[in-house]
Formats: sequence, C-alpha cells, structure tokens
Amino acid sequence: MVDWRIYDHPILEFDRGKEVTIYLDGKPMKAYESETVAAALYANGLREFSKSIKYRRPRGFFCAIGRCSACMMEVDGVPNVRTCVAMCKEGMQIKRQKYPADYLNPILNLMKLPPAVYMRLMTRPSFIYKPAMTVMRELTGLGKFKKTLPGPAPTTMGSEGTLETDFLVVGGGPAGMQASIEAGQRGANIIIIDDKDRLGGQLLKQTHTFFSDVKYAAGKRGFKLGEQMIAQLSELPNVKVLTETAAVGYYPKENVMLMKRPGNATLKVKAKKYLVATGAYEKTLVFENNDIPGVYGAGGVQTLLNVFGVKPGNRGILLGTGNVALMVAYHLIQAGIEVAGVYAPSFRRVRGYFVHAAKIQRHGVPIVTRHTIVKALGKDEVKGAIMTRLNPDYTPAEGSQFHVDCDFICIGVGLNPAYDLVQLFNPQMVNNGTLGGMVPIRDKTFRFAPNAYIAGDCGSIEEATTAMLEGGLAGLYVTEALGRGDEGVTAKIEEYTHTLEEDRGSPFSTRLKAAIEEITVEDIEEVLN
Amino acid sequence: MSKEELNALQRGYHRRDELEELDVLPPEETVKEKRVALIECVEEIPCNPCAVVCRLDAIEKDGLCAPGTVDWEKCSGCTMCVAVCPGLSIFLQQIKDGKGYVTMPYEVLPAPKVGMTVKLMDRSGTVVGEGKIVNPTYQAKGDAYPRWVVTVEMDDPALSYEVRAIKIPEE
Repeated sequence: MVDWRIYDHPILEFDRGKEVTIYLDGKPMKAYESETVAAALYANGLREFSKSIKYRRPRGFFCAIGRCSACMMEVDGVPNVRTCVAMCKEGMQIKRQKYPADYLNPILNLMKLPPAVYMRLMTRPSFIYKPAMTVMRELTGLGKFKKTLPGPAPTTMGSEGTLETDFLVVGGGPAGMQASIEAGQRGANIIIIDDKDRLGGQLLKQTHTFFSDVKYAAGKRGFKLGEQMIAQLSELPNVKVLTETAAVGYYPKENVMLMKRPGNATLKVKAKKYLVATGAYEKTLVFENNDIPGVYGAGGVQTLLNVFGVKPGNRGILLGTGNVALMVAYHLIQAGIEVAGVYAPSFRRVRGYFVHAAKIQRHGVPIVTRHTIVKALGKDEVKGAIMTRLNPDYTPAEGSQFHVDCDFICIGVGLNPAYDLVQLFNPQMVNNGTLGGMVPIRDKTFRFAPNAYIAGDCGSIEEATTAMLEGGLAGLYVTEALGRGDEGVTAKIEEYTHTLEEDRGSPFSTRLKAAIEEITVEDIEEVLN
Repeated sequence: MSKEELNALQRGYHRRDELEELDVLPPEETVKEKRVALIECVEEIPCNPCAVVCRLDAIEKDGLCAPGTVDWEKCSGCTMCVAVCPGLSIFLQQIKDGKGYVTMPYEVLPAPKVGMTVKLMDRSGTVVGEGKIVNPTYQAKGDAYPRWVVTVEMDDPALSYEVRAIKIPEE
C-alpha cells in the first residue's frame, strides 16, 4: 500500500489522532481524524482530485488553505467541497466529480464548444435558465445539489442568531491572536474567528526558529509560538474563539458581520470595533502546464509537510529565492526529501536573507539565480521541468534550456494581501507593489475605516514577527478606542512601536518602510470623506 | 555567466577568502589555542539571540540589526550561541594536536552518534572529505526546541576553515 506519510522528523512529532477509514469512489483508505480529506487522499497517493470544467484538465491539491478551488470533490453527497479544509470522519464517502462531460468532451472539443459555454449562453430567456443549469451542472461535473442538505438551510441569515461584542478579530494568525491577547488582557469582550479548524494561521507550519528580538519571538520556533499564543488565549474568559467560521460579508449600514458556520449555519456579529487580519494569498507564476497536479504553492507544501506530515513527492524544485521559498527548501531537506534546486530570475542578489540561502546550500541544494522555468513536463502529474537561463533583459537565453528531473514544483514567488473583507468597509484602497498589492490607506493606529483596523500580511506583506507586533499594537489602540486606555497601555504601545521600528531597521525593509509611510495618514476621516 | 563570477549575495554563500576579508574567521593562533565561535552572518537583519544568550558578553551587537562580532579573547567556546542562532550561522572552530574540529548546528536526520564517520561538506555543499563525530549534544534551552550541536573531527586542520555541514550516510 502506498503511504506518503512522514514518521521520522528531526523537529516535529506527528500526533495524528484516531485512525479512521474513508472511501474514495468506494475504495477504502487509511486516514486520521486530524487530517483534512485532501491530506489523507494525498498520503494515499491520489494526485488528480477532479477535472477542470472547461477543458477537462487534471486538477489536484494546490494551496492547502481553502483559498483556491483545485481540490473540490463530492463529500458525503455534497458536491464542490474544498477537501483541503474538510476534516476526515469515519466512513466518509468521497467521490471524484466525474460526469458525462468527460465522455462528451472529445466531441464537444471537435465542435469547438467546451461544455461550460452553455452556462453563459442559456441565461435568456429566463425560463430556460433553471432547467439548462440543471443539465449543465450534471454534464460538467459541478455536481447535483441534494434536495435536503445536512443542517439548516443556508438561506436563513443568522440561523445561529446575533452576537454582540466589543471587538471582533477576523483571522487567527499571529496578528489576530496577538491583538486578542493584548486587548483581552485589558478586559474587552472579544470574539476571534478563523475559517480553519484551529487557530494559529501560518505559524503552525513554521518549524524554523524566528529572528527578531528575544523579548518577542526570536529563537522560538514558529509552531511553538503559535501553541503558546493559543494557550494564552484559552486562559482569557472574555475571549471567545470560533473556529471553522468564515466571515463572508460586512454590512456597514447595519454594522453587522455575517459568518458562515459548520453545517451551513450562519451567524451575525455586531461589534464596536473590528480587526481585519486575514493574511495573504500566494501568488502564482505563468508557465506552460502550471495547472497540473504536482505544481504547488510553497505554502501548500509547507502545510502538507509540517502540519500533516505528508511528503509532497520524492524530488522537487523551488521557484523563487524569497524567504518563503528558501525556508520551504530547508523544510524539505529536514523531511528527507531531495531538492533538485532553487531557481529564480533575480539578477542583483538572492532575495531572501543570506543566512537562509547559506544554510540550504551547505546541504548541497544549489541556488540558481538568473534562471526561470519554461514548462512543466507530464500529462496528469509533474514528471520534470524545462528550465532556461535568462539574459540580463530577462529574455530566455537561446540554447540554454535544460531538463530537471523532479516530481513536484513549488512556487514561492510572493504573496498578495487578502483584501476581500477589507474592501467591504469602503476604505480608500491603493495598489502598492512593495506591500504586495491592494492595501487600504490607514492612520497611525492602523484604522482604515470608522470602526475597523488592519494588521499583519493583509495590510502589508512582511514577516510573522512584524505581523505579531502590528497585531499587538492594533489590539492596544482598540483598547484605547474602547475607552479602556491607561498609562500601562500607552507604555506598551511605545514599547511595541520601538521594537517594530527596530525590526524594520535593516536594509531589507528600507523600501517597505517608505511604502508604509506613503499609505499612512494623520487623519483617516479626511481620507474617507 | 558562470557561477564563479557572481558575488556572495548573488551566490547565496561565502568563499573563505571573502570571509577573511570581512574579518569573520578567527586567526590561526587563536584556534590553535582554544575553541572559539565565529559568526558567518554578515547581513543586517533584525535578530539578537546570540548576544543575549552569551554569558561572557563575548558577542557584540551594535543595535538589533547589526551583525554580531565575536571577541575571541572572551569567548570560551561554550556552544550556547550555536544552539540558539535562528540563522544557523554560528560555528565553533579549533585546531588541536594537528587535527581540525568544527562544531555546528544540526537539524536533519539521521540522528548523530559518537564515532560515526560522516561526509564533510563546505559552504557550497561540495563534499570535501570525511570526518568523525566526537561530541553530539542535544540542546533544549529556554523556549528553543531541541537541536543537535555536533562537533566533528577532521585529519586535515585546514579543512576546519571550510567544513560547515555534515552528511550522515544512511545505514
């Protein structure tokens, strides 16, 4: 039997919990309760989870954090479940969404009509739309909705009622947790939500020790820090933690945030202040075949490796030389997986910290700058990659193409702020390349809308340590805004601000600091009106 | 463009001559006299565990972002800084009785044991010789999660200026 799980790891111990049996298209598979469906299927060797609607291309695991939709499958009769966030349960029936379109496709392709075309063509007259949709869903593999879904109907707004609180924190990563700790210790009633089954965000995947000041995070391993913060939060009776809860809407007029809860339930939360700490999405890279299973986001690989202890493959390559790519290369080395090389087009220097680059190279993993990928090889999964050297003007150097043998490719080329929720507060958004993309204008207290604050990667792409400091600061500013400020709060704000400034004092952060100054204003009300 | 023409920041690792120019490597008289630490962290990044952990104040850091420098007079070679450095960039070096010794952090498998013969690798990952593990210790100080600190012995003392990683062959 194929088993891609890691059992020996130099840093981590994997406590997988109770063993359960899940069924893929009727075939039993070994899984654990602590695993997501996607991780369990991957550990059992499944690479193709579904096919794309339009061109029937193979689709598999990609981001592992419920952001992309590559891993959708039918779980216990419900179609289009993102398997990377659904947890395994005993006797779960999982089906690949394979439908008649798979057989029709060659014919439709000959007619130059990809199946999904009908979805747009048949919207008028309106009475055709409903029956046409039923047929199209069936044909394309989007699945058939059951008449009755488990749990209350999703149409009831706030089926779990309305909660009122002082401070609602959206996102349980380093920024959100630190904000809840700082504000929670000073007595405010807090609700912190996260769409995963646990708090911690990306911290739980960081097996390496952090930089920064020893007073905060330095010398500690990320996942230990995450565990510590979760424990700190659980000791605060005024902090309510809601996991598997996604914020799906904000209504400024009513000042209500709508949440989706497990079992199709919805919950409304009315808060005096909001903190958006939703983190970031991974960027991708354009090259031929970049959609086939085996091409992953670097964060997706980190999740597989360090949260679930599942090997992504036997031999991989990394694209990008930022800190994320360099760290994932090191995590792969630690898990005993061969890394064929770290490739990036950078000319001036290796983009991440030098010490990260040095530690992977001394283990025999080459960093190859001035190179990029041309295409991924393989039809249903990655079987290799074609790389090329670049000329100084970033055009591929002629005749320099070569083949690299690998069975997975990690893309670690940076992050985009997850600004979806931010926008619902009607802020002033600006596009800033240095900070990662679209970010809201804010004031010195991280306020970007009358009652909303921002912290962490969704406001500017930085390190986990700076996210923690920003979160802490936002929590303290909210405490002040709630009328709970005192000398202790002011002193703590000064301390945090000082450390944050020191953290951003390296030449790495020069441009970033300037960019943050650019989007920070004295008076936010002036900007909003 | 070949790899040799790149500078250290473009390559992602230093050569010995570049580090000597930066005064990072201890002089030969010092390493022949005692075991001392050397910090191959030359970039300004916000970090300070090495300076905080040193009980002899042998590591000087001018602000959070400045690279640390070792006062070889004060350093006793206690390995504390090797165990805490988040960048895995602190090593100890010694030349004793005509043999070279390098102490380094080790975070991969298989687990090191006394007497094991290992492959020695330089900063670029090239295998430069064979050595013997003389002293693997497991550090679990403070909040840092356990990490091995391994000392290897090599017959050629000159290699102690080059060796920065080991590979333990699978049994």
